[in-house]
Amino acid sequence: MGADLIVDPQIRFWVFLPIVVITFLVGILRHYASILLSSQKKIEIQQLADSQLLLRARALRENSGYIPKNAFLIRKQAFNKEDGYLMQKRPAVSQNMMTDPSMMTDMLKGNLTNVLPMIVIGGWINWMFSGFITTKVPFPLTLRFKSMLQRGIELSHLDASWVSSASWYFLNVFGLRSIYTLVLGENNAADQSKQMQEQMQMTGAASGMPADPKVPFKAEWEALEITEHQTKLADVEKDLL
Amino acid sequence: MGNFKKDLENLRQFRENNDRNSREVVQIWINSIGSNIDKLGKEKHVILEQVCIAALDCFQLKVAETCIKGLYNEFPNSCRVQILESMLYEADDNYNRALQILNNVIKHDGTNSSARKRKIAMCKALGRNTEAIKELTEYLKIFMADVEAWQELSELYISEFDYSKAAFCVEELILHNPHNHLLHQRYADIKYSQGGLENIEVARTYYYQSLKLNPKNMRALYGIYLTTSAMLNTQKVVTGKKKDAAQKILDWVLKEIKERYSENQVSDIEESLAALEI
Repeated sequence: MGADLIVDPQIRFWVFLPIVVITFLVGILRHYASILLSSQKKIEIQQLADSQLLLRARALRENSGYIPKNAFLIRKQAFNKEDGYLMQKRPAVSQNMMTDPSMMTDMLKGNLTNVLPMIVIGGWINWMFSGFITTKVPFPLTLRFKSMLQRGIELSHLDASWVSSASWYFLNVFGLRSIYTLVLGENNAADQSKQMQEQMQMTGAASGMPADPKVPFKAEWEALEITEHQTKLADVEKDLL
Repeated sequence: MGNFKKDLENLRQFRENNDRNSREVVQIWINSIGSNIDKLGKEKHVILEQVCIAALDCFQLKVAETCIKGLYNEFPNSCRVQILESMLYEADDNYNRALQILNNVIKHDGTNSSARKRKIAMCKALGRNTEAIKELTEYLKIFMADVEAWQELSELYISEFDYSKAAFCVEELILHNPHNHLLHQRYADIKYSQGGLENIEVARTYYYQSLKLNPKNMRALYGIYLTTSAMLNTQKVVTGKKKDAAQKILDWVLKEIKERYSENQVSDIEESLAALEI
């Protein structure tokens, strides 16, 4: 049924290709805009020290068998005693995130480069190129794909392998990633799909709040507390001879 | 032009393998790249940094200065370039100026570990070991998991003959990297140098561990020999059985050592020596 449908060649030049070019150029633009707007993330020295401390505590816990017993006990004491490394009082970091102006500007910039163009360009494409059939995927598809591939065209008799212009735009948004990596190199900011994933994760995990150091510290403290020193070198002489 | 490409490839390889090869790098710069630096595009600044450090190694201060100037043109406020500049002053014996720059960088960005490390290196270069140790402990309070810093500190303590503290540092290294036979061997060396029966026993265990991890470790074999014979000598009351066992170990170790020497001649001595560096 769909095979005898012939698409005007003008659509190729005025709809199909422009959408590809526009999405591509917008991606590049976003990349440079986000470079322009991005501010270097300042790492707090306390945060850095904390993470290193945790690393060290973990190394101690995991490989304690390789150092002599008293060396282990000294360290355990230093980490876990009343005012040891893992028990230090530290100011709570997370609650004043909303009042922190740098946080706010960061969020604003993120929205500026991610969400806004997405809405504006998407809306514009929808308005400008609405209602065209642009291309056809070269294999038959089931009816369920209709809602995905034929956004903006509500024809119940149209074969599901035809792609509408709005859907073509979305396919481009998600499909141009490898081309961006080719043009802009790894870790570019042009790819919208990645950022959308990130945002989804952010909303899932309490929108990327700086993790409260107390929690991992407490966990590490407990783990270290129950670690017993068990030397791994006791039988080394017998092993060898 | 083919030559030029090959030179670039060489430089890239040096960077990837962390080879310093300063003389070659400077030679490449003088021969081909120096006059064509603007044609390099993205790679330009990495190469400038590499050449700068190499030039400082070779005391080619003029070359280093041009590199730093080029980098400053692109990144006027970069901490990384400032550290290079301080290294230039350092090479020129102008330690006060270098220190001033480094302090500035640290004040500006407290998390900059390389500036702190340069400062410590400078103390060490000036022979102020105690000061270097003090700085390094301060550094390690923040960057606790920096394995290289722990190693440096252990070496500084060894040069000050403070063996127990050096042992502590090496313990830290072992915790982070428990399967390196050289670390176990170093720990045993320190314990043996400390002396005392208990320490020598610990040393022996670690020599065994080192030998277990790398059966080719000659120094561990010698260590086992020395510790065992030391134990035989110091232990006043040695029961016959224990003594026999110790004697057996001594014989075995001696046999092993002799075997090793007979099977490979001195030909690859440099290689074996290099393998014993941590």
